[in-house]
Amino acid sequence: MILEVEGLTKQFGGLAAVSDLKFNVIEGEILGLIGPNGAGKSTVFNLLTGVITPTKGKVSYKGKNITGKRQHEVAKLGIGRTFQLNPLFPNFTVLQNVVASFQLRPSSGFSDTFFNTKKYRDHEKHIQEQSLEILKMVGLYKVRNELANSQPHGYQKMLGIARALAVKPDLLLLDEPIAGMNPDEIDNTLEVIQKTQASGVSIVLVEHNMRIMELCNRVVVINFGQKIAEGTPKEIRENKEVVRAYLGGAYDTER
Amino acid sequence: MSNERISTNISSWNRNYQFIIYAALIVVLALIPVFISSPFIIHICILTLVYIIATTSLRLVMTSGQFPLAHAAFMGIGAYSSAMLSKYWGWSPWLTIPIGAILAMGLGVFIGFPFSKLRTFYYAMVSVFFGAGIVQVIVAFGKYTGGSGGLAGIPTLFGAASKIPYFYFFLALAVVSVLIMYRLEFSRFGLNLKAIDQSYLVAGSIGINEARNRVIVLGIGCFFAGLAGAAYSAYNMGISPTNIDMTATLWLVLYVVVGGMGNFAGPIIGTIFLYMVPQFYRGLKEYTPFLTAALLFIVIFFIPKGIVSLPKLIWQKLKGRKTKREISQ
Repeated sequence: MILEVEGLTKQFGGLAAVSDLKFNVIEGEILGLIGPNGAGKSTVFNLLTGVITPTKGKVSYKGKNITGKRQHEVAKLGIGRTFQLNPLFPNFTVLQNVVASFQLRPSSGFSDTFFNTKKYRDHEKHIQEQSLEILKMVGLYKVRNELANSQPHGYQKMLGIARALAVKPDLLLLDEPIAGMNPDEIDNTLEVIQKTQASGVSIVLVEHNMRIMELCNRVVVINFGQKIAEGTPKEIRENKEVVRAYLGGAYDTER
Repeated sequence: MSNERISTNISSWNRNYQFIIYAALIVVLALIPVFISSPFIIHICILTLVYIIATTSLRLVMTSGQFPLAHAAFMGIGAYSSAMLSKYWGWSPWLTIPIGAILAMGLGVFIGFPFSKLRTFYYAMVSVFFGAGIVQVIVAFGKYTGGSGGLAGIPTLFGAASKIPYFYFFLALAVVSVLIMYRLEFSRFGLNLKAIDQSYLVAGSIGINEARNRVIVLGIGCFFAGLAGAAYSAYNMGISPTNIDMTATLWLVLYVVVGGMGNFAGPIIGTIFLYMVPQFYRGLKEYTPFLTAALLFIVIFFIPKGIVSLPKLIWQKLKGRKTKREISQ
């Protein structure tokens, strides 16, 4: 188990955005977190990564309790994530976006930075090379020197993934990675996600596009902040309650 | 690929062009006392150098998305603490100037922690009142600080005979300070600050500690503000609360904005244009605010990226016209 979530609850005033949620992520798997609009999927991500603190519940990562840790601490433990909207630094170039995301290695000391020593320059050069490698992997190498906010939507989303990969995560949380992409871009993104999984990274995907379910080993369905089903993609597709949640009671398959 | 430059700034062309500007500026400035003997012009140059340290440090803080409207008050902390130590305890100004700067830095770090929770105009609002508070405290302790009339008779660095040694002292101080801040801006620390400014959520998600970086940069900014203020008091022999109040801060902000916030050279160019140039038509002194307001309007509407972007803007306009003509032919 790389990630264990138990009794996770977040209340905004009287409204429970997430209530008593329990799920696990097994090492090396892709877990899909799906649900209709407003089900609380993004809130779950924000709770896991310390953007907001849970009202109740416990989050363990690699057996360590990380509940209530701050965002940058969670990132340093090796949890990378993307954002649904505004996934990048708009005024940096594509390359700078990735270079800026390399924060994890013991970074150079102040005096090295200040006097621009060989150690500092080698360190930055190493980061640069690794960044270019990531950009090649996701297919953004050709636009590396262009401004991030001048890129089309699909590229920006992809850059969000590249940025998250620069954190060298063991667990990657992707918030609607293919939303608003064209079919070519979707194919490319799915390929990148598969490659990432093959390199040993566990992934949690939030999506309401059913196409992404092909990739998942397991799927957790939430609605109104509560888990309503869990299982393989096939099981989920045949689950009546899931269909009802997505299509409404009137379209029950029984009828 | 390995021969590609590590570009932590927007473009390397921009960097070279900035370097040439700085080098030329330093040489020209160092030659000023050789050709100009007027003490008034030397005086203006010295004050310009003081303001260059202050505005450059203000912009460094602003790159992290903070908008501190108490920067002149931090100059005041440096100036008053340094002046009082040398006046009442007889310490050498050479010692009290760095002490004043370090005290300003200490206060900057101290308020940096609560300030790191604030953003946008909440930050601006709280910092305005903090700056006003500092001025009020200085006025309230009039017995030691001279109150609203100001503190006079501060021991100086080189006596009052000639302004030339001061000029070289301030030139060296400004060059060293600006160089230090230049190195910081284009280091990974500077990159992290710009990342925080653009999106603190994304910055947090890649492991940048927002609060820590913001506190550090505020400390550094306040150090240089305090340094500028302390050195100024040891040159001017006097300091008064009107030098460090809200209006003084707004002038600093104005120099940065008019010069160009997005560029390291911005505050330097802005200070020269807005502080130095109006001094030479002092006969129009009462119209200076109006002329400045007019200039500000022009800058905001026609050159929103500041005076520093003007050459590039003109170049692009000329190029655009040329291409249009080529197309029509």
